[in-house]
Amino acid sequence: MANLEVELGALKLKNPVLAASGTFGFGEEYSSLIDLEKLGAIMVKGLTLKPRQGNPAPRITETPAGMLNAIGLQNPGLDAFLSRELPRLIDSHAAVIVNIAGDTEEDYITLARELSGVPGIVALELNLSCPNVKQGGILFGTSKMIMGRLITKVRGICPIPLIVKLSPNVTDITELAHAAEESGADIISLINTLKGMVIDIKSKRPLLGNITGGLSGPAIRPVAVRMVYDVYRSVKIPLIGMGGIMNLDDALQFFMAGARAVAVGAGNFVDPCAMPRLIDDLRSYLEKEGLQSVDEIVGSAQI
Amino acid sequence: MLSKARVLEIRKVSSNCYFLLLEEARIARESLPGQFLHIRIGESLTPFLRRPFSIAGTSPENGTLKILFQVMGEGTRILSMVQKEDRLDCLGPLGSGFSTQKAHNTSVLLAGGIGAAPLMFLSEALLREQKKVIFYYGASSLEQIIPVRSFFPSEAEVYLATEDGSAGYRGFVTEAFQEGLNNGLKPAEIFACGPKPMLQKLAEKNRDWKFPMQISLEERMACGIGACQGCAVTVQEKGETRCGLVCRDGPVFNWDEVVW
Repeated sequence: MANLEVELGALKLKNPVLAASGTFGFGEEYSSLIDLEKLGAIMVKGLTLKPRQGNPAPRITETPAGMLNAIGLQNPGLDAFLSRELPRLIDSHAAVIVNIAGDTEEDYITLARELSGVPGIVALELNLSCPNVKQGGILFGTSKMIMGRLITKVRGICPIPLIVKLSPNVTDITELAHAAEESGADIISLINTLKGMVIDIKSKRPLLGNITGGLSGPAIRPVAVRMVYDVYRSVKIPLIGMGGIMNLDDALQFFMAGARAVAVGAGNFVDPCAMPRLIDDLRSYLEKEGLQSVDEIVGSAQI
Repeated sequence: MLSKARVLEIRKVSSNCYFLLLEEARIARESLPGQFLHIRIGESLTPFLRRPFSIAGTSPENGTLKILFQVMGEGTRILSMVQKEDRLDCLGPLGSGFSTQKAHNTSVLLAGGIGAAPLMFLSEALLREQKKVIFYYGASSLEQIIPVRSFFPSEAEVYLATEDGSAGYRGFVTEAFQEGLNNGLKPAEIFACGPKPMLQKLAEKNRDWKFPMQISLEERMACGIGACQGCAVTVQEKGETRCGLVCRDGPVFNWDEVVW
C-alpha cells in the first residue's frame, strides 16, 4: 500500500490532505459526517485573542464556480478555544493546526506563546492575509518589511512548526514568500482568498454587508496553481497549496506545481466528504502509478 | 446525514413554485417541522453551493418527504427541471425545529409566499396534538398562490390574502390577521414564516400583542451546519446581543430573540 505520510520540514502528517482554515469551523460541525482522524490535519477557524462577532449579514454570496465571503473572523477567542474547542478536537484524534490572527504584533505573539506548548497542536498558521477585517491580518501580509518583522518575533517564541499563509492580493507573491522564508517561516500555505465584490443591481448596492469579500472555490484554482508554481521556484521551504480543490485531479495540479500538501476549503461546503474521498483517491492514484509517496510528484510540472 | 433522495414527483403548483416529492427513509423518519434540507443542485460547479429548503411534510411510513420551492434564481431554476427517478444529494435534516409541546390550543400559522412550506409540515404535527389550526396565507397575486387548501390538512381553517386583491383579503397577510384579531380571534400561539419585512412587522406588532411566537428565518448559506458562519443573524439573550447562525441556532427563533 502506498505511503501517504508527508514531512513538511519538522511537521509530519499522516497524509497531505488538510482542511483549510475558515471552512471547517473547529471540526465539530463535520464530526458526524466524516472521521476527523482520517485527515492529514485540520486548520481551524482563524483565532483571535478576544472573541470576535464578525461582519454584518449578508456575509456570503455565490459566484460562478465559487463564492464570496466576508465573515470577518468570527470566533470565540483564545480562552474558549482552549477550554471548549481544543479538547473536543483532541478527543477526535485530529491533528490540529491553529490559524491565528491579530490586530497588532502583540496579539500574534501572545497567541503564539499561549498555543505553541499545548499538547495536540502540531503547528501554528499565521493568518496574514484575511481580506475581510480592517486592521491586522492583511496589513501584515502585504508589506515585506512588516511581515518579516512579525514572523521573526513569533518565530523566536514558537517551538513548533510555523506556517505563514500568504495573500494573493499582492503584486508579486514570490517577494512575500521569500521574505517569509528569510524571517524563519517553516512552511508557506497559499493562497488565501482573492478580494472581490458583487453588486446587487436592483438595490444598486454591494451585496455583502462588508462591501467586499474573499473569493474562493474552483473559480480561483488556476490563480492558486500558478502562484504555487511560482513560489515553489522562489523558496526552499515546503508549501501547502489550496484554492478551489474539489477532487483528486485538482489536488494533483497543486502537487505537480510544487505543493507537498493540499488543503480543501470551499469544497467542504459542497461535498462534506470531499477530503476523505480525496485521501482514498490519492492512495489509489499512487498505487496505480507505482509511486512510493507523494514526494515523487511534488514539483513535477516545473520545467 | 448525507443521502441520495429519489425524486418521485415534481409538479408546478403556481406561476413560480414547485412541489417535489422525494423518497428517502432516513430523512422522512428523522425530520421535524421547521428543519431544512441542504440540497446540491446538479454535479457541475455552477451553481456552486447547496441550497437550503424547508421540509414541507413527511410520511415516515412511506419513507417520503415533501419540498415546496420557489424559483428565485439559477439554482432553483435548475432544480425545477429535475425529473422522476433523478437522485438528489441531500444533507440533513438540519437546524432546529418549531417547538410544539406547549399546552396551547388555537395555533395561528402565518405565511407569506413560499414561507408556507415549513408551516404545512407543522400543521400536521399540531393537528396530531388535537390543536385548532388557523392558517393565514399571503401572496402578491392569485397566480402566485400555492394551492394551500390541497396541501393543508382539511381540518385547518385557511384564510387567503393577496396584495392586489385578486384572491381573498386585499392587502398583506399581517393585515388580514389583524382583522381576524379585531373580529375576536384569540391565538394561543403564532408560528410565522415569510419575507423578512413581514416577520419584522409581526415582531413589531407583537410588542403589543405579546403572543408566544416562533418565526422561521432565511439567509444565504454555504455549509448549512455551522462551520462557515455565513448565515449570521443578530440575536439577543438577556439584554446581550450576539451573532447567531440561521442554520444551526435556527432557522426557527423566538420572535423576541432576533434583533432586526
